[in-house]
This record gives sequence, structure tokens and C-alpha cells, in this order.
Amino acid sequence: MNPQALIAAAKKDKRAALDEIAGKQLLASFGVSVPKSVIAKNAADVAKAIAGMQPPFALKVMSPEILHKSDAGGVKIGLKSAEEVAQAITSMAAAPQIRQARIDGWLVEEMAPAGQEVVVGAVRDPNFGPLVMVGLGGIFVEILADVAFRICPITRLDAAEMLDDLKGVALLDGARGRTRASREAIIDVLLKIAGENGLLMQHADDFTEADINPLIVSANGAVAVDARFVLA
Amino acid sequence: MNAIVERFNPLFKPKTVAVVGASTKGAALPNVFIRRIRELGFTGAIYPIHPTAPEIDGFKAYRSLAETPEPIDYTFIAIAGAQIPPLLAAANGRVRFAQVISSGFGEVDEGRDLQQKLVDAARAGGMRLLGPNCLGIYSPRGHLTFTEIGPRPAGSVGVVSQSGGLGTDIVRRGLNRGVRFSGLVTVGNCADIGPSDLLEYYFADPETKVIGMYIETARDARRIFEILRAEKARKPVVLLKGGRTTLGLAAAVSHTGSLAGDDRAWVALSRQTGCILTESLDEFIDALLIFQTLTPRTDKPTERVVLFGNGGGASVLATDTYARLGLEVAPFAQDTIAALAELQLPPGTSITNPVDCPVGTLQQDDGRVAEKIVDLIYRIGKPEALVMHLNMAPFVGRSKPEVLDNVVLAAMRVQSKFPGLAHFLLVLRSDGDEQIEARKREFRAKAVELGIPVFDEIGDAGHALKALRAHERFVQSRRG
Repeated sequence: MNPQALIAAAKKDKRAALDEIAGKQLLASFGVSVPKSVIAKNAADVAKAIAGMQPPFALKVMSPEILHKSDAGGVKIGLKSAEEVAQAITSMAAAPQIRQARIDGWLVEEMAPAGQEVVVGAVRDPNFGPLVMVGLGGIFVEILADVAFRICPITRLDAAEMLDDLKGVALLDGARGRTRASREAIIDVLLKIAGENGLLMQHADDFTEADINPLIVSANGAVAVDARFVLA
Repeated sequence: MNAIVERFNPLFKPKTVAVVGASTKGAALPNVFIRRIRELGFTGAIYPIHPTAPEIDGFKAYRSLAETPEPIDYTFIAIAGAQIPPLLAAANGRVRFAQVISSGFGEVDEGRDLQQKLVDAARAGGMRLLGPNCLGIYSPRGHLTFTEIGPRPAGSVGVVSQSGGLGTDIVRRGLNRGVRFSGLVTVGNCADIGPSDLLEYYFADPETKVIGMYIETARDARRIFEILRAEKARKPVVLLKGGRTTLGLAAAVSHTGSLAGDDRAWVALSRQTGCILTESLDEFIDALLIFQTLTPRTDKPTERVVLFGNGGGASVLATDTYARLGLEVAPFAQDTIAALAELQLPPGTSITNPVDCPVGTLQQDDGRVAEKIVDLIYRIGKPEALVMHLNMAPFVGRSKPEVLDNVVLAAMRVQSKFPGLAHFLLVLRSDGDEQIEARKREFRAKAVELGIPVFDEIGDAGHALKALRAHERFVQSRRG
């Protein structure tokens, strides 16, 4: 589906946000890498659905009623085979919060190569219009609020300066024994999202908030592993 | 002439002024306005508008804005809010700008409809509207003022303020610090003209070199961003933003939303357009002053600073402050120290950096010793800025009155020998004693005449230097 159709479908369905699949399709249409994925209808459907995909896999419940999938027990990672995925679906479906929810299906994804977790976000300011945010994942965003904002559209230099604004920026260069994460890959994602012809400029009125969390950044590239776009 | 400049010139340099709300008894605000602009030397036509009076304060009065002999460039309006829309609607295209001082409009819930009527009436009458709920305009080149000040020379600092009271502070305190204005406009509720319109004007206005903005809520923030983005800090813009502590979106559902307080957007604006975000009224004024007086050096942004003056402890503390501001007050290299040592200054003088010279040293040769010191610092040390700080109290009573002058003039002579080498800033420190304050006031006025920026404390000069450096770095980074 093209971006307009994705947004229209979610609105027609009276959703508050794009579901994860739609969010990733939207990102992919702007050139942001997302993991290869399929939706399995149930445990029995898994083997056929994931044929040709490379393990390890991540499994996520798809439900408009579950906002925080991890908290509900709806995320499982590091699954090595179709059998493991099928078993995980069976046990996940029995979790209290999931048992009662409307389930759209089970998202099975190839896992992104290991890397630095980064958050790229967006929010629509009532006066300035869309703002873009970047921060390092985990405690850096959630506890330390070590993030940088810019008003859209941004230039390549703006994107580079956003990273320099982060107190934890040295982690991207491999501080404390971490593997190096490609700054260029993050800058490219920021430009695809917030650049002159980026997603936020073209859809300024469609979304109030967005999180790409995490964007997994290795030395060679960046993959959007989860995405949420809150509809206006 | 540039179309924007042409459009706004009648506001900043009106030939004809109408005043609505003046009383025959001469006591209302509009009467005061007439008196003030005449004191400032306004010689254009003044047309009081009054329903019955034949004349007001010696000027023939007219019944409506449509009946004056000449079209009106600027109208000052202070009557009950409900009477204003019909007044404007009847102007018949003969008024360029109307400034509505009256309140009771959009700033209160029950005034929203009236504000809309006001906007519609201004449009119908063919004019641009300032306010409502604003104090007015200070434009020395047009001999307009809304605050009681004597005649002061026009300058190059253009300001727009969303608060009238703070606008008054900016004018009065700014003038006393040496800021000279190309104009200051208070925009109140911004029913028509908003900060972005004035920003656009000041960028186009050849008289304006530096732009200041005090903003609380800018509905035209997007336009401010777009103008600043396009102008790439061609003129320095200093911003003071009220309400920056507003928390993130109350109902945020994403991480990003919960982290996006009002402050984030304004910091972003500053980072990507090069405008300088200041934290207080004094910092705002000091930044305007430094941009007014010094030429930003965008090829070689300010890094190394020399502190020179009397007051050892004060300069040690200042070194810490400067380090926190990211300004480098580093000891001189050996060649500079050796050259200074040859001057054989009295014991108690420190010649590393900060250069600490007690009054006993500075009064040598009636203060002209400073010329030798600064000359060596410039010639060999080559700093990007020199902050001369003078604690005035020890001078008074101990040295001839001209010593202070000589110290500063000596530094100025060196300054002119090395054009464009280093920024020169003067700090006059006072203990608040009446006699010292009087001397400082007089001395500051002289320095201002010479184009030297003067600050109250060494730290204040540091904040201003930081603003200057931020501008220099931004322009350098965006070049090419």
C-alpha cells in the first residue's frame, strides 16, 4: 500500500495509530530499512508463512488493543526455528492481557543484526509544525532525556549536529567497548524522516507523534525494528 | 526601496500621526503621547480624533479618521474597546497603521469576539493593526515613543516585544547600558501584525544591524523559523523566550511527545538558525549590546580570552565562569610571559592570564602603562578577545580621576593598532556606593560614545562573548 492508502485504511478502521506493519511499510516507502517480516494467522500457519526467511526471529503480537507489547508479554526474540516460533505463539496467546484482546495476527520478523539502539521520534508542535527527535535508546532517552530536537525540515548538517548535541554521543563511536554505530546511517534515516522531502514534511498533518524505537544501528546500517505513528 | 521596508516605513517614520482618546483636559494617555513625541522632536502633523472638541492640546481635532487633511501613517488608539471597530471601519483606506493600546480583547475569554471584530474592521478600513493590548512603538528616527525618555540618538538595534512592560524595560535599561535602537515595537495580542512581520522588516531595514525578540506565545512561530532559516543569521538575532519551562505534551502517548516541552522547540530553533537564545533580560540586553558594538569575526570565531584588570579573586572566579561557558582563559605561552616580565611591573602583578594588575600597577605613568601591557598581549599573545575589568572603588581617592580614562584610552589606542585582531570588552565593577555609581555612569557613557561595550560584571561580559561566539561559529559553519 502507498502511504496515503495506509493512513486512510487506519483511519477508516478508527485506529489511534498505525499498526506496526503499516508503520514499517510507511517507513520503507521513504527508504528506511525495516526487517523482513510476515504475519502468521496462528501457530499452525507459521512454517508456511516464514518459508525462506532467515532466523533468528522476533515474534510480536498484533493487536489494536495492546499499546505496550512488551509489558503485555507480547514480544519474544531470538527464536531459532519455525517450531520455536509456533510454540511461542501458543504460550503468548495464553498470557492474561493477550487472551482477552482482539488479535490481528502474529508478526514474525527476521532480527536485525546487533547494534546500538537509537530512538528517532517526531511530534507536531502546534506553532512550529513537525519536530524531529533523536536519542540513544534505553536509559538515555527514558531516564536521562538525552535527546536533541530540530524543526522540520532539517539539513544534513542539522542532522549531524543533532548527534553532536547528545551527551552520550561517544557511544556511537564505540566508547566502552561497544561496536561502532554508523553516524551516517542515522543521519540518512533522520533525513528520510525529517529532510526537505521527508516523511514528516509530506505528512505534516497526518500524525501528532511518532517513535521509531528502536532503530538498531550497526557499523554498516540502520534498521527500524519498531515504529509507532499516532494519527492526528 | 525594498517592498517590506516601504510598507513599514510609515510606522517607523510617520509623517502624520492621529491620536484617538485624547482628552480636552490633557490628562489621558493619548495626551501624554502627544507631549512625549513632541519632546522627542516629532514635527509631522498631529491629528487628534474627537467626537466634539474643536481642538486638543493646541491641535485642531477631527471627527473621524476619514476626515483628516492628509492620510494617516500611524494612529495611536486608547479608547474603550467596543468603540474601536467602527472607528477603524470608517477609515476608508486613509490609515496605514493603527496601534490599539486598549485591552479587553483576545487576552480575556470574553474579548475574543471583539478582537475578531477589530481585525475585520482594520481590514475593512484598509490598515495594518498593531496590538491590541500593547503599549506602542519606540522609534527614535521617527520621533515616536511610548515611554518617558529624553531624546536619544537612533541606533542599529531593532526589537519586537510581546510584552509592553518588558518592552519598556528593554528600552530604558538598554539605553542606560548603551544600546541604541532602530526601533522597538510592542505587539501585544498580535491580532494582525506578529513578531514574524517585524522580524522580516528588521532583516530588510538598512538601519537595523541587530535584531532582538521577546516572545511568549508565537502563533507565527513557523514563519519565524522560515524567515530565520532563509536569512542564515545574516544579521544577529537575539531571542528572549518567556514560558520555556512548560512541560511536555500533557497527553503524550509516545516517548517523543512526553519529551517535547516548549523549550525543546526554541532550543532547536536556535541550533538550526543561529539565533541566540538568552536566559534573562540582562543577558538579552548584554547580547544586543555586544552585537551592536563589535563586529563578529566569522573567519576565526572567538576562543581564547584574556582577562586584564585589577581584582585577583574576581579574575580567578571569572576564569571558572568562562571555563563553564566554554571560553578559554589559558595561561600565556612563554614568549608572552617573557615579554611582559621585561616590563618589570611591581610585585603583586600577575602576568600569566588572567593578568592581574593592582591599582598601584595600573596608575603607573597615570594609567598609560596599560598601553604597554595590552600591546604585548596583542602583539605576541594574539588572543581573540580581551576583557578589561576595572574595579572602580580602589581607584577612587587613591589615584587621579584621569587614571581610569587613561587606562581605557591606552587600551583603545592598542585596539586601533591591531584592527580586527581581538574583541575589546570593558567591565566596570562597582560596590554600589553612590559616588562610585555616579562615576561609573559617567564613565560608561563615555565608553558607549567610543563604541565600547560595557558590562557590570566579568561574568556578564562572558555570557555576551559566548553569544557572539555562537553567532560567529554558526555563520562559519553555514558558509559555502
